[in-house]
This record gives sequence, C-alpha cells and structure tokens, in this order.
Amino acid sequence: MSDKTDPMDFPQAVAVRKKRMRFSVVWIIPLVAAAVALGIAVQSYLSKGPTITIVFKEAEGLEAGKTYVKYKDIHVGQVSAVKLSDDFSKILVTAKIDKSAENLIVEDSKFWVMRPQVTLSGISGIGTILSGNYIGIDPGKSKTKSKHFTGLEVPPPITSGQPGREFLLRADDLGSLGIGAPLYYRRLNVGQVIAYDLGKDGKSFEIKIFVHAPYDQFVLPDTRFWQASGIDVSMGAEGLTVKTQSVLSVLVGGIAFETPADAAPSEPAPANAAFTLHGDRKAAFAKIETVSSRFVCFFNESIRGLSVGAPVTILGIPVGEVVYSGLDLNPATFGLRPRVEIMAYPMRIMAQQTRDAASRKLPTAQERRNVIDRMVERGLRAQLQTGSLISGQLFVALGYFPDAPKARVNWSHDPPELPVMPGGLGRYEEKILAILTKLEEMPLEEISRDLRKVLGTLDQGLQDVNRMVNRVDGEIVPDVKKTLGTLDRTLEDADKMLIRVDGEIVPGVKKMLEDLQGAVAAAQRVLANTDSALLGPDAPAQQELRDALQEIARAARGMRVLTDYLERNPEALIRGKN
Amino acid sequence: MKPGLTAAEAGLISCEACGLLVRPAHADEPGYCPRCDAELEFRRHNSVQRTWALIIAAAVCYLPANILPIMISNQLGRVEEDTIISGVILLYNTGSAVLAGIVLIASVVIPLAKLIALSYLLITVQRGSVRKNRDRAKLYRLVEIVGRWSMLDVFVATFIVALIQLQPLMAIMPGMGVMFFGAVVVLTMLAAESFDPRLIWDSSKGRWDDDE
Repeated sequence: MSDKTDPMDFPQAVAVRKKRMRFSVVWIIPLVAAAVALGIAVQSYLSKGPTITIVFKEAEGLEAGKTYVKYKDIHVGQVSAVKLSDDFSKILVTAKIDKSAENLIVEDSKFWVMRPQVTLSGISGIGTILSGNYIGIDPGKSKTKSKHFTGLEVPPPITSGQPGREFLLRADDLGSLGIGAPLYYRRLNVGQVIAYDLGKDGKSFEIKIFVHAPYDQFVLPDTRFWQASGIDVSMGAEGLTVKTQSVLSVLVGGIAFETPADAAPSEPAPANAAFTLHGDRKAAFAKIETVSSRFVCFFNESIRGLSVGAPVTILGIPVGEVVYSGLDLNPATFGLRPRVEIMAYPMRIMAQQTRDAASRKLPTAQERRNVIDRMVERGLRAQLQTGSLISGQLFVALGYFPDAPKARVNWSHDPPELPVMPGGLGRYEEKILAILTKLEEMPLEEISRDLRKVLGTLDQGLQDVNRMVNRVDGEIVPDVKKTLGTLDRTLEDADKMLIRVDGEIVPGVKKMLEDLQGAVAAAQRVLANTDSALLGPDAPAQQELRDALQEIARAARGMRVLTDYLERNPEALIRGKN
Repeated sequence: MKPGLTAAEAGLISCEACGLLVRPAHADEPGYCPRCDAELEFRRHNSVQRTWALIIAAAVCYLPANILPIMISNQLGRVEEDTIISGVILLYNTGSAVLAGIVLIASVVIPLAKLIALSYLLITVQRGSVRKNRDRAKLYRLVEIVGRWSMLDVFVATFIVALIQLQPLMAIMPGMGVMFFGAVVVLTMLAAESFDPRLIWDSSKGRWDDDE
C-alpha cells in the first residue's frame, strides 16, 4: 500500500437521486412558536378587564397580588395595589377585574371585604380563615360602567341574585332587631332583615326585609307583621302560656308575619310595598278600624290604674280603647275631675248588620248617633272596672244601668260626653262611705239613752208583773177559797132546804139538785186545776213567764253592753270587734 | 498530504453513523453509506439555516417561558402563580441561596447562554471566521453536553404537579410557562444537533487554529 491513497480505493456510496428543497421546512417551527407566543400575548391583552378602585375604611387582610375579587366564589379579579388615600383617612384598593367579569362592574355594584364573621344568627366566611380575606361583589343592575366604588364595611346579607322580594316595614321601635334578624312565616325562617334606617324625623324606623322565593308570595297587601322578639307570657283560663317564635328569635329578635284568615284573597303584594310592624301578634291582628268615634268620660273617682290603651268593653268584648287620660278643670267651680277620652269603634257593635258583603257600607254619622242616643236612653253608661285585683289595672266597661238617672249625649261638644256610672271598686267605696255616713248620722247616744230607758221601763214592768203574780198568789187565792166555802155553805143550806122541800117537791127537783151538785163538783175540779196550773207557786205558766222575762232581761243587758261598746268604738261596725 | 486537508476537499465523505470513509456517488448527491446504509452528507443539509430557525423559535419561546407562570399552586383557596424568576427569588429569600443559584443557572442562564453560543457559532461560520476554531469547537461540545440538563426544571414541575394533588387543601397545576420552557430546551437541543461542527473548519484553509 502506497503513501498516496487512491481515492478510488474508497468504497463507492450508493447513489440515490433525491430532490432537495433550498428552503428548509424547519422554518415552520419558529413561525409556529411565534404564532403561539403572539396568540398568548393577544389573548392576555384581550382578557385584560377594567381596573377599578374601591375605597375601604380598613385594609385588614387585603394584600396586593394576593387578595382576589370573587363573585359567587369564583375569581373574577385580583387586587393589584393597596394604598392610603391622600388624606390618610381611607384605603384605596386597586383591583384588576377579568374581562369575563367586566359586566359585573357597574355603577351600583357593591363591594365588601369578606372576613370570617360570627354572629348570633350564624357563622359566615369560615373559608376566609384559611384562604385569606377576599373582596366580594354584588353586581348591580345599572348599565353604566364605573371605575370608582366605595366598599361596604359589612357584607350585604342578601345579594341581588337571590330570588325573592324586598318589603318595607315601618315601626315605632326597632326592638331587638338587627341586620340579619330572621323573618318567620308560621315559624319557618323565610327571610331576614337586610337594612334599617331611622326615619328623617327620628320618630320611626324603616326596616327593609327580604323574603325568599317562593315564600314572598305569601305576603299579601293585608298581611300583618309583628315583632317576634322575646317571650310572650300570658295568663289565661288555661293557665300560664308562654309563646315564642324560636330560641333564636328570643336571642336576636325577629319578625313574624301572617295574613288574617278572613282577609280577602288577593295578589301578592308588590316588591317594596310598605307595611306596619306591630309590637305583637295581638296588635297586628287587631281589626283596623275604619270608623271610630271619640267620646269623653268624666269619672268622678280616681282613675289610678287606667292607662292609655286600656280596653273599652261591652259585655267583656273590646269595642274601643282609652286614648287619653288627664285632668279637667271646671273653670266655674275650680273643681278637678279626671278626663278620660275613649275611642270607640262602632263598627264592632254594628258589624253584624253589615256582615252581608253586598250591603257593606258604612253607617253615616247620623245613624251612629241615633244608635248611641238610643243606647244611652236605655241606660248605657261608662263605668270603670278593675281588670285585675292584683295589679289594679282599670278598664272602661260600657254597660246598661236602667236605674241610672236619665242622661243624654250632647253631640254639640267635641268629643261628646258619654254619661258615666260610678263603678268598680269606686262603687264599693262609695257604698261603704254612704254606710259610714249614715252610721255617723245615727243618734247613737240618744238611741242608747232611749234603749236604757226602755230597758228600765221593761225592768219595772217585769217587777210589776212579778208583784202582781205575788198578789194573785197571796190575795186572790184566799178569796176564791172563801167564795168556795161560802158556796159550800150555800149548798148545804140548799141541801137542807131541799131535804125540807123533799117531801113537798117531786123527786125531779131532787134529781136537779143532784145534777147541780155534779156541776159544782166539776166546777170545783176545774178550780182546783186552775189553781194548780195557774196560780200555784210551781204552776208551769208562771214558770215560763218568769223564764221569758229573765231572758229579756239578759238580752237587754247584752244590748246595753253593745251600745256602750259602739259608743266608744263606732268604727267596729265596719271593722268588727278586735 | 497537506496538513489542513479535509475529506471534502479530498473528494471523500465520511459516514456520520459508522465513520466509513466513502467516495460520494455524485458531488451533489453523495448517496448512502455502503456499510451501514446511513445517508451521506458532506455537511449537514441546510445546517446553518435549520439551526437559525430553531434558535429563533427557541428565542421566541424563551420570553413567555420566563414571563408566564410555570406552576400554579392552590393552598386552601389561596392561589399563587410562580414564574421561574419568582421561584428563584423565593428560594433566595428563604435562605437557600445555593439552590436559588442552581435553579437560576440551569433554568435561566444556560438556555440563554446556549442561544447566544449557537448564534455566535453560526455567525462566525457564516462570516467564514477562522479565529479560535478550537475554542469554538469546545464551546459547541459544551453546548451539546449541557443542553439536556436544562430539562430538570420541567421534570421537577411535572413531578410536583403529579404528586401534590391534595384537592381541598393543596393542589399544583402546571402553568403555560412550563410548556414554553420545555419548548426552549427542546429547540435549543435540536439547534445544537442540527449545527454541523465541521463547518467551523471549512473556512480555515488548512490552518486549524489561528493561534498556531
């Protein structure tokens, strides 16, 4: 093998003819890469939504780049900056919102910081303990876009997406209601209080409530709302009754609503309809009176225990209420008397006649006056009665007193005066007073003097009787004996004469004499009886008479003791002997 | 035989697969190796153009690879997106300066260095430069060796995504960046592959290195 290698010594390659492109296909790769990168860039540019600023009072838990804006728990944006406002009073949060959520950001959208929250009615935002706080959105309904918002300090309890309706309640008193307080329909929680505001005049509250669908359809124009807060304890014939809505409502307060069973069926109330919030169920269900008549009553007695709002009843059925109580000065006499104004609802009295729906027209004022005039004529009077002996609560009862002095309602006064009847405890008081007065007027001293005189006379009489009896005993009986003796002698004479006559006169005479003798014997027997029954020292009649007289003497002594005691203690007539 | 003679100049062609020195079938179409049947080429076909294309593609991908997040971690609802740079900063801030350095070098510096090195080689080849031929050849070998290690980032990301899926508590999802990063690594490897180092010597006209 030589130094010089012959090229022909190398093996020959296998020949294949192949078309070669001058331009390499490999250029597709950078083109594809560029297209993809560009595509991503374009997409990220296009997906860039609006940047908004939200003003909050506190920046607690808000961090640029870490805090998200969430709607229904879906990320729709991110906080890009958190800084202080120029006057250092507020926090300006800048957030980038995704393009997809652009339409959520409108003028009336609401923003709030979702933090863990523990309230009596529930715990919310637990997830934020782990994931960190986030900004929640409640999108508004406006079409106008906005970039600057003021954040809410607390999350709204109801977001706009929830089906249901809002209503407005007016109340004098907020009670223990707060935002989130539950709303009950037949004890089912169907909504909650979402806002409340003290009216501009500062006298009433406007409470916004939200009723979830489908329960919102149960809110009719005639529906009554009342405070279900607290516990309603009532004492009735069945004993002690405690009514509550739920334990929760006892703690945090609540509102209940119900439509009266006799309400006319109607369409559900429109959203944002206004209702009155009553203090309790009873007040809520009190009939709303279309007609009312005001009267004034001048009770000539203490009205302690009569409060405004106390019922006015007829036969125990409330037909009105006390609306005012105060003093009335009679300018002529400078006498004071309590003035009680009552509001009576004549429809409750006359409702029966107008039950028929077709003829349900209100009686005219004149008709009402006529009815009341007739009733007063028949003895209708207002009277104070005691509702409860323990609490001394009074109420006004209207009742018929046919014996009452005649009275008329003077319709020219406003309000007209309704005649009164002293009543209740006052009536008893008056009676007792009358008795006492009479007692005081009684000439007790004279009576006792007279009584003593009478007793003296009686005593004397008795002595006379006694004397007489003694005399009868001592004088009359011997006389009678003497008479009898004489009679005996006469009879003997007669006997002698008869024996003399015997011969001459027929035995008939003899028989007659025998008869006479029998009669005399009978008389003698009678006299002997009389002697023993009437005149003997142990005769029963005499004994009884003596007993009776002694009894009278004892009674007279007792009477004397009583009169002496009464003289000293006249009040014992009322209080008794102590 | 003059010292700078190359096979091409001698009208011969070396099989890149088995090393057999072959006479080409035709000057334009060298044909196939008679021993191992590999396609014969004097120089890799369109080497410069192809390498350029791949480098440009890699460069295009390099930007999103570093801007877009490579990992999206969701810890109890707290979502964090991490790019390569933010990862490096996090590591550095938590005290792992060495790890931060390794990640920075492997994921940011090396791909960029590869792009720059290959571009430098291509430019010098196109200009027919004869300077520092041997250094350039060393540089090329370095680029080729180091290339695959850049995939480490992608591997780590893939592992973490697959392993950490504790759904409600924590989950990690790959970001778009990891795709681009992978593309950068693959494209630079392909670019290094498509570069024909023999081109370095073609302009030397017999002189292997101007230092000699």
